[in-house]
Amino acid sequence: MRDEPTDDLRADADDLRTEALVFGRYLVGRDLNEALIERYCRANEELFAHEAPDAAVEYARRHPWAIPMLDAAEGVAGMRGGEPALLRKKLLVMTAIVETTPEYVAQTEPRSASLPALAVKLGVAGARTALHAAAGLALLAVVKRRG
Amino acid sequence: MTELAEVVGDLADVIVVGSGASAVNAAVPIVEAGRGVRMLDVGIREERYKLPDGPLGELRRTDHEQHRYLLGEHFEGIGWGHMGAGAQLTPPRQFINRDADRLQPIQSASFFPLHSLAEGGLAGAWGAGAPCFVQADFEGFPVEYRELVPHYEAVAARIGINGEHDDLWPFLGELNALQPAANVDDNGRTILARYAKARDAVNRRGLYLGHPRLAMLTEPLRGREPTKYWDLDFWSDAGRSVYRPRWTVDELRAHSNFEFRANKLVVSFVERDDVVEVKARDVATGTLELHRARQVVIGAGTIGTTRIVLRSLEAFGKRVPIVCNPHTYMALLNANQLGKPIDETRHSLSQVCLVHAPAGPERPFTVGHMYSYRSLLLFRLMKDAPLPHREGLEILRHLSPSFVVLILQHADAPTAAKYCELEGPDKLTIEYALSRAEQDRIDDIEADVSASLRRVRCIKMRTVRPGHAASAHFAGTLPMSTRDEPLTTDRDGRLRGTKHVYVVDGSVFPTLPSKGLTFTMMANANRIGVGVARDS
Repeated sequence: MRDEPTDDLRADADDLRTEALVFGRYLVGRDLNEALIERYCRANEELFAHEAPDAAVEYARRHPWAIPMLDAAEGVAGMRGGEPALLRKKLLVMTAIVETTPEYVAQTEPRSASLPALAVKLGVAGARTALHAAAGLALLAVVKRRG
Repeated sequence: MTELAEVVGDLADVIVVGSGASAVNAAVPIVEAGRGVRMLDVGIREERYKLPDGPLGELRRTDHEQHRYLLGEHFEGIGWGHMGAGAQLTPPRQFINRDADRLQPIQSASFFPLHSLAEGGLAGAWGAGAPCFVQADFEGFPVEYRELVPHYEAVAARIGINGEHDDLWPFLGELNALQPAANVDDNGRTILARYAKARDAVNRRGLYLGHPRLAMLTEPLRGREPTKYWDLDFWSDAGRSVYRPRWTVDELRAHSNFEFRANKLVVSFVERDDVVEVKARDVATGTLELHRARQVVIGAGTIGTTRIVLRSLEAFGKRVPIVCNPHTYMALLNANQLGKPIDETRHSLSQVCLVHAPAGPERPFTVGHMYSYRSLLLFRLMKDAPLPHREGLEILRHLSPSFVVLILQHADAPTAAKYCELEGPDKLTIEYALSRAEQDRIDDIEADVSASLRRVRCIKMRTVRPGHAASAHFAGTLPMSTRDEPLTTDRDGRLRGTKHVYVVDGSVFPTLPSKGLTFTMMANANRIGVGVARDS
C-alpha cells in the first residue's frame, strides 16, 4: 500500500512550488514552466533538506515584492563572511537552474555593449542595488525580529 | 592478529603503484624495454557523465538536458563559496577525488589536499600547464636541467605540448617537440596586444607575458585530436586533446607485457632477498593480496606514496617535510576588452602566461596563468558577489567578458612548520604553515605584479588566497638527496634503505619553484623509468 503524503509534506511541497514561481519571476520576469519548477523542488530536497525554516525566505515567499530588497540586504549582510543566508542560497540555485536552460540563455549569456551603453547599464544596476539594499536592510531587521 | 594476504599472480619484473602522471610515464620506458609491468591502482573511472559533442555555446542554446552535467545529477556542481583544493571541480570531474578521503583519511587543521584514487590520478583534472624547469628551478636538486632535457623531449613527444617561441622562452625552457601555440581568445589577445605596445616599460618592471605551454594538442598525435576550441575543457575530454594520464594507460594496455589491475589499494611493501612483496587491498572484495616483483616503482601521488613508504618502513611518528606551491587568485578587469564581444570558439585553459622576474631568468622568478572567465557559468561568480541576483546577473553578463583570473604560483621550500607524519598504520597527519618571511615575500610579489599589470590595463579587483593545499602541487616528502639519510631517495629515485624500490612522483622533489611541477615530474619519472629498465 502506498503511503499518502502527510499534510505537512504537502504544505512543504506547495511552499517550494510557490518559491520556484516567485523566485523565477524575480530573476527572469515570467512564470517558469513545470519542468523548471520540479527541478527547483528537487534541488531543494538535495541541498536544503536539513536547513531550519528561515524568516526571510518565508517572508519573500509570501511577499514577492520584497525579494529584491531582501536579496540585496542579505548580500550586504553576507559581506561579513561566513555561510550565505538561506535566501541567497536558494536564489543562487534558481539562478543556476535558469542559466542552464536553453529558453533563458539570451538572458544569462555574456553580452557586449558600447562603452556609453555599458556605463548606463552598470549605473542603473548599481543604483537599483543601492536603493534595494538600503530599504532591504531595514526590512530584513523587521522580518528577523518578527521571526 | 595479522591478516594473511593471498598471493596473486606470478613474479612480475616490475610493479608500478599508481596510474597518475608520474606512474604512467615511468612505466612507458620499462614496458618499451620489454620488461613485464603490473600496474596496481584503485583506478576509479568516471561513468556517470557523458557530454554530447559540440561547442559549449551551442549546447547551452540547444540541450535541454544540460543541467544534468553542468549542475550535476544531485546538484553537486552548486557550492556556497568554499575555496580550496577541488572547489572548482565540475560535476564530470568530481570523480577525481571520489572515495579518496574515505579510503585514505588525512588529519589536519591547516592542510586540506585534493588527492585521488582515480585512474590517471589528479591529472584527470589538471590545468595542463606544462613548463620545463630551467636551471634556476633545480636549486637544491641533485639532478641538473641538462640531464632532464632528453626526458622532457620524450614526454613532450608522447603527450603533446603546444607553445610559442616568445618572451617567455628563457623562463619556460627549451623544447624541440613543441606543437604550434593554441589560439588565444579575445580577452587574452587584447592583453598581449597591449603588452606588445608597452613591452619595454613592462619588462623594465620585471614582467613578461606570452603564450603558456599547455599539454593540449593543436595537431593530431597518437590517435588523439587537436583541440576543437569547444570551451569544454573543464567539463569533458572531447577528442582527448588535453593530455590525461589515462590515455597513456590505454596505450600501455595494448602491450602484452603490461597488465593493469584495478581496485587495488596498495598498503605496504617489504623486501625479501631479491623480491619485493607488495600488499594491496582489493577495494571491491576487501581481500588482502600479495603481489611479488623484482622491482617496485611507486608513483601513487605524493601523499599516497608517503603513506605507503612510512607504513612499509614502520616510520611511525617520524616527521617528513612537505612542500606545496602557495597560490594567489587575483581577479582582474581587462580594460582593453570592456564592452567588446567575445568569440565562443576558444579553449578554456590558460590564455596568457605571466612571468614576474625582476632579476631575470637566472634567479628565482614567479609564474602565473591568466584565465578568461567563461565556461564555468555566471552563477559560480554570483556566489562570491554581494550583489542581488537580478542586478548581479545583469552586471556580470556585461563585465564577465573582461574578467581575467590570474593564478600566481609561489615557490615553496621545506621548513619545520610543514610536515607529514604517520601516527600508527593509518593516521596520516599533515600540518602546514608559512613563516612571516614567506608570507611577506608573497605579499610583495602580489603587490608588484598587480602594479605592473596596470601597464597592460588589467586592474586588480580582488585577491583571494585559497588555502594552503589549493594548488594540489604536493612534493618533498622523500626528497632526492646526495646525503645518505633515511626517508630520502637517491638521484636515481631509489628509496634509501631499499635495494629495489623507486619513487617517481612529486615526493622526490626537494623544493618547488614557482611553476607547475607536473611536466617535470613526468620527465623525471621517465628518467627513473629508463634507469629501472636498464637495471632490471
